[in-house]
Amino acid sequence: MAKKSMFDMTPVKGYEKKLEDFFPMERRCSNCLGCKFVPFEKIKSNRFGRNCPSVWHYNFNLYSARGRFQLGQNILEDGSVRFEGQALDAIFNCQACGACDVGCKVTRFNLEPLAHNIALKERAVEKGKAPDALNAVAAQLAKQKTMLPGAKKADRGAWASGLKLKDISVGKETAEYAFFPGCQYAYDKDLQKKAKSYVSVLKKAGVDLGWFGKGDMCCGGRAGQMGFRKEFEAQAQANAVVWKKAGAPKIVTPCSDCYYALKRQYAMLGIEVEVVHAVELIAELIKSGKLKLKKAVDLSITYHDPCRLGRLGEPFEPWDGTEKKILNQVHTWTPARPRYAGTYGIYDAPRDVLAAIPGLRLVEMERVRENSWCCGAGGGCSVFNPEFSDAVASERVTEAQATGAEAIVTACPWCEKNLSGVTSENGTAMPVVDVIDLVAKAL
Amino acid sequence: MKNITYNKDFYRALQDIVGERNVSEDPAVTENYRCITAQSSAHYGPYDTRTPKPQAVVLPGSTEEVQQIVRLCNKYKVDFKAASTFWAAMGFIGSDNAIQLDMIRMDNVEIDAKNMIAVCEPFAIGGTVQVEAMKNGLNCNIAGVGCSSSTLAGSAGWVGFGPSSIFMGIASENLLGAEWVLPDGEIIRTGTLGSDGEWFCGEGPGPSPRAIFRGWTGTAGTMGVCTRIAIRLHPWPGPKWIPVRGTAPAYFADGLDNVRAYTVCYPDWDAYAESFRLFYEADICYLAHRQFNMFGRDIKTAMVEIFTHPEKQFCDLPELMEDPYIKEQNEQMKVDVQIVLAGFTERDLDYKEKAFDEILRQVGAHKSEYYLQQDIEDFVKLYLLRLARKNYNYTLCSSYEGNFGLSPNVFVAAPLMEEAAALKREWEQTHTGVAAVGGDSDMGSVSGIGGGGTTGWEFFVHFDGFDKESIYDSCAHIDRTQEWMTEKGLGADFGRWNADVRQPNGYNYTQEQHDSFYSKIPQPALAEYQWKIREAFNPNRLTGSYYKTLTPKEFRDGDNK
Ligand SMILES: Cc1cc2nc3c(=O)[nH]c(=O)nc-3n(C[C@H](O)[C@H](O)[C@H](O)COP(=O)(O)OP(=O)(O)OC[C@H]3O[C@@H](n4cnc5c(N)ncnc54)[C@H](O)[C@@H]3O)c2cc1C
Ligand code: SF4
Ligand code: SF4
Repeated sequence: MAKKSMFDMTPVKGYEKKLEDFFPMERRCSNCLGCKFVPFEKIKSNRFGRNCPSVWHYNFNLYSARGRFQLGQNILEDGSVRFEGQALDAIFNCQACGACDVGCKVTRFNLEPLAHNIALKERAVEKGKAPDALNAVAAQLAKQKTMLPGAKKADRGAWASGLKLKDISVGKETAEYAFFPGCQYAYDKDLQKKAKSYVSVLKKAGVDLGWFGKGDMCCGGRAGQMGFRKEFEAQAQANAVVWKKAGAPKIVTPCSDCYYALKRQYAMLGIEVEVVHAVELIAELIKSGKLKLKKAVDLSITYHDPCRLGRLGEPFEPWDGTEKKILNQVHTWTPARPRYAGTYGIYDAPRDVLAAIPGLRLVEMERVRENSWCCGAGGGCSVFNPEFSDAVASERVTEAQATGAEAIVTACPWCEKNLSGVTSENGTAMPVVDVIDLVAKAL
Repeated sequence: MKNITYNKDFYRALQDIVGERNVSEDPAVTENYRCITAQSSAHYGPYDTRTPKPQAVVLPGSTEEVQQIVRLCNKYKVDFKAASTFWAAMGFIGSDNAIQLDMIRMDNVEIDAKNMIAVCEPFAIGGTVQVEAMKNGLNCNIAGVGCSSSTLAGSAGWVGFGPSSIFMGIASENLLGAEWVLPDGEIIRTGTLGSDGEWFCGEGPGPSPRAIFRGWTGTAGTMGVCTRIAIRLHPWPGPKWIPVRGTAPAYFADGLDNVRAYTVCYPDWDAYAESFRLFYEADICYLAHRQFNMFGRDIKTAMVEIFTHPEKQFCDLPELMEDPYIKEQNEQMKVDVQIVLAGFTERDLDYKEKAFDEILRQVGAHKSEYYLQQDIEDFVKLYLLRLARKNYNYTLCSSYEGNFGLSPNVFVAAPLMEEAAALKREWEQTHTGVAAVGGDSDMGSVSGIGGGGTTGWEFFVHFDGFDKESIYDSCAHIDRTQEWMTEKGLGADFGRWNADVRQPNGYNYTQEQHDSFYSKIPQPALAEYQWKIREAFNPNRLTGSYYKTLTPKEFRDGDNK
């Protein structure tokens, strides 16, 4: 029996969910290279002009957002490609960093490359075609409530020992903000110190802070980025239960991955939570005079915008509209569809904090703010393909070195870990620190 | 038809040349190199048809690798085609026994500031060549396809004119030396490069086969693989990098005080044509293009409003179109053009402004007030100087095709504009397949330096690449405009320019098919001459049918391979 043509599909209502929903976008992509380069007006050199780590590393068009749209068509329209071989390789070697999304939306109003990339991953996962390493991560999440290999649920609270943070999960105590460290800060020995530092600084500035104690878990966001929708949703719902019981406090997190999960991914599921990144809160505290940075830090630094705090850190807006053609063929949405183009990401708060540190000199890289180059740890790539992940990190370190700065500063533990120790194209590494390290020095 | 000769040995040999990670025959990769021209139809290909699937895709990293690949193709009689940025169908292969070369790994740019030269590899795009040039106070011609397109492809493979051509020339005028792997695998270095004189000049004392390799329109990948070219750079009086303000995606050029952007409003097409002559004669323009009219006469101002306000979208169009101020602007700008003046000194700018005003006075034109608003002027400056937003060509409906292409001579074309616009408007009103934007959706550049006549007019037919009816209706519309063009003796419609070089099913034409129609063209000797060129440089006929060849009479019934 002849398969019903994909062209006959009924218009989708609300945001696209499954792969088939994206078919019109797959056809409407215009093969323009916007998903291979930094928005062209913003390119500052030939050397650092590219934006997509995946096609930069693998070079075949298939690895770009455009190539993924084409791949989706091949899968859906005539089955000329299946979930196997290089199709799978491309699907999972995507950092879910969203640079393609920003590049595309400079000129296009009706395409969602990032969401489509994830839909491809989800379909591959449903078909049982995810790489083993990622399956193991998802299983770890289900069992230990963290995605860090080898970590145990029972050890999660160790980082908080001695901090005397209020445990608000049991319903006895309350706090305006709950500190949500995220897995890296909770388990990694070096990073644990930084989590403590965040807590001390916030408390010192008078923030009413607690945490979820035994209820503290992984946000699950990375499972979503990797295409494990079921596992992500289960984890999100589990967190929602804990938070509700704790009186639905505002959440402050030092992790940009968690920030994105709570701000965007949870919101898409309808889970409402008020979240701020710790650097946003610190910036506010400095502005209001509650936190004073007095000691000089004599250092020149460059700031790496984490993808999930920057371009992906825009607030989510619900939308249940649909498409509408006007003027015969002009494709539009009714009502207006929220447009996530990286416009309203968190770029200024970390820079404001750095600017408040006496003696510190910020030199910007070429690819900043919504056009930041990914650190290489996105989308689960660092777990199953370290070669790719390291190459992407090395590219960023090379760019950072080109500024002449002495250190890279960032606001995400995943970025910090992935960039640390990696050598640039000159064969040298660069110190990588978190904003809090410099704040702590300046106090 | 040739026997299928692609095989496993060939593939293994490719792996040996470029390394395993740089070649693939996986269907996910090879399907990705099929052009589906309906969805990004611009320029000259079959509609709603995929070009054939390559047997393999290979990513060479050096001239030497390219040479080995080409020699291998000759040995096995496997067709090949190189492309760099793949904007249009012409870069894709056209037979089943073919491999695709994607030049993405070769992306270097070197600037020789003293001699005002840029040496570019295939994947150096106009946008990066330009930023490197500007660091040295120089600039390059960026073809109308925009700065995301390969400078080399535009220079070696296709026409290459754009807004900057009035000051910087078209691609053929800027091409100096080239390093080229001929279709049989020989490497040739042209111009002074061919005599160790570096890249200085495109003509001798080394070989000067520019006419063979590119001519006026370029040879569309049929003369082998170009691995490096040198282009002439031109003076740029602005900063080392154009500062950009605004929030994504509404960006504006910041502080280019010695650069001015104007939109000129004309009382009629005669005034328009006469001003072009005067602009050319006065030699005052840095950039000149009829640009935003590509969206259509009725919506162009509303579109600029949308692009300059990050919160606005196309669903705001109807309201914007009803706004009396915007309506008034459209009315004034019925016949319009965008002009950029750049001052190399204060006096220079002052002179150019005065000369510009005088030309406007002489033809009874005026400057659009709307475009004098600071943000709008700065948006236009950035748009035209960088040509960074070529995807706007597609943004309205996702696909477009350019049609009419009236004539390179403004005095021939201008009197026909309203008739062409009326034909398009009528179609918009009686059919639903193409966007109804007010008939006239013409855009094009004003001139090239080399003769004052490279005026490329093109009406934009916006259609939806997801909607089959829209695809077919736009196709039918172009059939209709071709009829009109033929009636007027104006030749091929822009939308049909490549109809004779690739079959509607996406495949190459055979020589027999080419013979059947090139024997009937007005000057068949030209295509016969090209046949001889092809036989000399490409004896195995491996690069497709974009080179227009007619078997010479003496061979026509004999040596038809
Ligand atoms: C939206 C749009 C607008 C356009 N507007 C204009 C315009 O205003 N003015 C104008 O002049 N043209 C215009 N064109 C045509 C345009 O000039 C060409 O498409 C462009 O110059 C080449 O870019 P590309 O990405 O198509 O190149 P590619 O796809 O890389 O190739 C274009 C041609 O060059 C050949 N080629 C590419 N690289 C090599 C190589 N290394 N060696 C040998 N051959 C090679 C290819 O085989 C192909 O035939 C437009 C095209 C589009 C799609
Ligand atoms: S999300 Fe990042 S890695 Fe993935 S396709 Fe887009 S730019 Fe490339
Ligand atoms: S930027 Fe968008 S429209 Fe352009 S090729 Fe990429 S996905 Fe397609």
